[in-house]
Amino acid sequence: MKIFDRFGVTEEQLRALVAEGLRDGGDWCDLYFEDTAYHDLLLRDGVVGSGGYHVDFGCGIRVLKGEKTGYAYAETTDFASLKSAARAAGSIASAAGAVASASLHGSQGLQTSGVAGTLPPTASAGPSLLRSRGWLRSSDPTAASTPQTMADTADGLSCIQASKTVAAPKTILKIGGFPGAEILVNGGDPLRSSGGDERSEVLSAWSTGWPGADYYPELEPWEKAEKADFVGFLQRIESGIRARDSRVLKVVAILSYSVSDVMMFNSLGELTQDHRPLGSLSVQVIFRQGDRTENNIVSRSLRMGAEMIGEEVLEDLVSRAVEGMDARFEARRPKGGQMSVVMGAGASGILLHEAMGHAFEADFNRKGQSVFTDRMGQRICRPGINILDDGTLPRSRGACNFDDEGVPGQKTYMVTDGVLTSYLHDRISAGYYGVAPTGNGRRESFRYNPIPRMRATYMESGPDGTREDLIGSVKKGIYVDQFANGQVKIGEGDFTFFVKSGFLIEGGRLTMPVKDINIIGNGPQALADIVAVAGDLKIDEGTWTCGKEQSVAVSCGIPSVLIRSLTVGGE
Amino acid sequence: MITDKELSFVREALESARDAGAQQARATLSVSEEDLVATLDGEVDRVTHCADRSLALALFVDGRFGSYSTNKLDPASLQGFIRQAVAATRMVAEDPCRALPDPARCCHDAISGDELGLVDSARGQLTPAARQQIALEASVMGSTQHGTSLPVATQPRGESQESDNFAGSQNSPISSDPTTDVVPPLPSRGRQAPAGAALQPATAPSGEAEYQIVSEEGEYSDSVYDTVVMDTNGLCCRHSESSFDYGVEITVESDGQKYSGYWWDASSRLAGLDAAGCGRRALARAVSQIGSAPAPTGKYTAVIDAEIASKMVSPLLRALSGYSIQQNNSFLMDSLGKQLFPEGLTIMDLPRIPGQTCSKFFDSEGVATRKAPIIEHGLVREYFINTYMANKMQLAPTIEDATRPKVLPWPEAGLDRDAILRRCGSGILVTGFNGGNSNPVTGDFSYGIEGYLFEDGRVVRPVSEMLMTGNFLSLWARLLAAGDDARPCQTKLVPTLAFAEVDFSG
Repeated sequence: MKIFDRFGVTEEQLRALVAEGLRDGGDWCDLYFEDTAYHDLLLRDGVVGSGGYHVDFGCGIRVLKGEKTGYAYAETTDFASLKSAARAAGSIASAAGAVASASLHGSQGLQTSGVAGTLPPTASAGPSLLRSRGWLRSSDPTAASTPQTMADTADGLSCIQASKTVAAPKTILKIGGFPGAEILVNGGDPLRSSGGDERSEVLSAWSTGWPGADYYPELEPWEKAEKADFVGFLQRIESGIRARDSRVLKVVAILSYSVSDVMMFNSLGELTQDHRPLGSLSVQVIFRQGDRTENNIVSRSLRMGAEMIGEEVLEDLVSRAVEGMDARFEARRPKGGQMSVVMGAGASGILLHEAMGHAFEADFNRKGQSVFTDRMGQRICRPGINILDDGTLPRSRGACNFDDEGVPGQKTYMVTDGVLTSYLHDRISAGYYGVAPTGNGRRESFRYNPIPRMRATYMESGPDGTREDLIGSVKKGIYVDQFANGQVKIGEGDFTFFVKSGFLIEGGRLTMPVKDINIIGNGPQALADIVAVAGDLKIDEGTWTCGKEQSVAVSCGIPSVLIRSLTVGGE
Repeated sequence: MITDKELSFVREALESARDAGAQQARATLSVSEEDLVATLDGEVDRVTHCADRSLALALFVDGRFGSYSTNKLDPASLQGFIRQAVAATRMVAEDPCRALPDPARCCHDAISGDELGLVDSARGQLTPAARQQIALEASVMGSTQHGTSLPVATQPRGESQESDNFAGSQNSPISSDPTTDVVPPLPSRGRQAPAGAALQPATAPSGEAEYQIVSEEGEYSDSVYDTVVMDTNGLCCRHSESSFDYGVEITVESDGQKYSGYWWDASSRLAGLDAAGCGRRALARAVSQIGSAPAPTGKYTAVIDAEIASKMVSPLLRALSGYSIQQNNSFLMDSLGKQLFPEGLTIMDLPRIPGQTCSKFFDSEGVATRKAPIIEHGLVREYFINTYMANKMQLAPTIEDATRPKVLPWPEAGLDRDAILRRCGSGILVTGFNGGNSNPVTGDFSYGIEGYLFEDGRVVRPVSEMLMTGNFLSLWARLLAAGDDARPCQTKLVPTLAFAEVDFSG
């Protein structure tokens, strides 16, 4: 299906809508069309006994005037509704005096559960401003089976993302700009529209690594895949897990996949389309040993097609589902307090997401709220450390062919050789700082205006040997490698993450297993306290979802690192 | 909001599902509107209008089950959607436990949707300008710029505490907790100003703390939500509710460190919203954290502020869910009818109180809610069992989830936080959580916290970057008190709680 047909609009209508949005003096207008289908299948008690799918369709229209934003959306794409939305966004953005921005976005219920209209109004939860300041979670496969209760998943083993997905970029076309439209990009040079209606390929609007790449080709389209194969695959996951550990009591396995088709058009005349697939598998296992019960949750989430359903993923999930359970049954709470922490490669990237990633998002810095405000160009950790936010990792949950402002996916070094070198920008903050947008303008759906968000955040490998070298250097401390969720206070810089499993380190050796403890630290201090970085970078492929105001899929990674001191919860 | 035409549309959707091959079906139409005005540093920063409409279907096809939703509601799209949904349902395995609820258990008294009186017609009278005025007047910085004076505490905090502590007055402008009503002198953005004598802790550090406001982000919104649930057994019930909300987060800076504070309020009636008080509280909370530092690791009496105390109750309710019990994913397995909690803990579900936010006559299946004890004097009285789980577990169905649970006061009525602090003597008053989690199988938890160290019933200094760790069963076994000060704007009515000998790491 051609993209215009999918959304039932024409090029002429797109231009007319942008013109309508800019009519009252806005200097930027963009349109974000989205058609998302989300599917899930759930295995419980040995059978795949429920499934579903959910459709979300609409168009968001944004008008900028300076840093001010007007936003409106329609759940239909009939021209009259879109024109009304464009007018609303444009008129509010250009309103004099106190009105600075407008958005017409959706209610809270539709996005996180994937089940429309199941949540009550916001009274009990409080204003959205206070509901989320930046937290990260991985998924709980049981949640998808009970969507009606998802609103109440306060503790972080929480709900599965009603994934938005997506897949192949495919094109940027310039089909006509608008007089007066400009935005600062590429170090501050304004990109001005051509003012014409001619259609031509955009050649060099963006300088940063845009080879027309597709970071998540859908080789085997989900929509065309044989769904019965999915049922069998979930059953094989369960049988594989039960075959490897006789203590298995219950298995819940969920396959969820979504495909989003997105079309963006802006007042530069750039037409961008993206096809975004996302497949996720989550498995929860309950084990019984004597009179004790333990659980384990593993997941895998990739931006790819149904080719994801294969032996490699099956073996990975099955092996990790039963891995480490002997230690889990032996694990105890450590004595709490400050101690050295070795964070294992991979999921420990949650440290970067919470300790610094959010604080580097440019909206917080633009408002002066971040603990890293005004620290650009300063040393924040030891030389040799490089920390990135990357939208170009193939098939990563955080990959973006384009962000949700139509800016091409790219790799952003936030910390280079220990020095803070870049915030994460959307178009608004890029304009404010006079730099190019970094492709971090992301949104949960067409119901939301884009804001600076992370993609895949990780640290490059370091020179300090192996994980074992780091553990061997610690006389007394803790090693952690599995996590459930994290959170940060932007201004104070205080961050936490919840450790599902780890070990005490005594005399340079792993000794007593530990579990279910929270670790807390301060972002700038923790970065400064990274005293060793191993050479074993690993990107985690769990179903990480970031909940800063809106839910978006992200990823994280890190090599094994040694932090001089963090506070560990315990008895 | 839902029109007669839309009601007919829902009925037609059920018929279409039957025509496509479903033997039973449930349809839920949800319609909502929300208007929002956000402020940044006392100026309007964002105005929002949301309007959503979606249809959810639960289909029972040849002994199989599937759940679906869409916001493409034009007739052609919907017909295709339903046909596809029925076909997709046939792919999954048969599950004889799936069924609609017994009509005798369903709600029959929610006809108009407003039987509980939760819709305020005042919302329909609000203009964009009126909404902006509410947001601006609520803003601490906006109200200053617009000429509204703030009440400013003038008494040194130490002096005020004496009278407050002994008078036990909830109306006193000065409380022993810096986060309540104390308002520091307000500096303009960027201008240095004293932190406010009234906020100085009893053991104030030498020298005068100064701060400046870095930012204030406020958000006013009003919304109305209308939902109707119908099924092929003849169920038809409806719930409508309006909500008026204001929340604000203020960040201050002192000696190069930033501190943030928030507060919010909500009501189903515009007149019930105290927006103006939120900014003062948020600022007081931020400023009162200046100089915070961890307390030494050890066991403390923990007093959990009512604003956040639901964190101690939600895991209990989840553990009593049929889904958790059936999957052995609960630390309250086999707990029904057992005395697992102390005599002092009683949690009632009070879903049908007119005029109270989040009251509701039915759950998502359309089953009628009822007043019921969940935990009564420590005895577990209820699992949350929906139709599916009842059939799977061979138990009598109850309700899908607690609708409006309330922790009753103990050991006596009328205790507020200050009274509980005095009763406890010394410990840590927890006013905010920062991350953390709990293990649903074991009940072990570990949370980041911030708050205040208190001695002799009085706050002495702010604490942060600390962790509170334990197990929910053993925590509740050490319950010292449950207050009578739950915030009515919250779904879970949980008052200030106090527990003995809780592990804190700092």
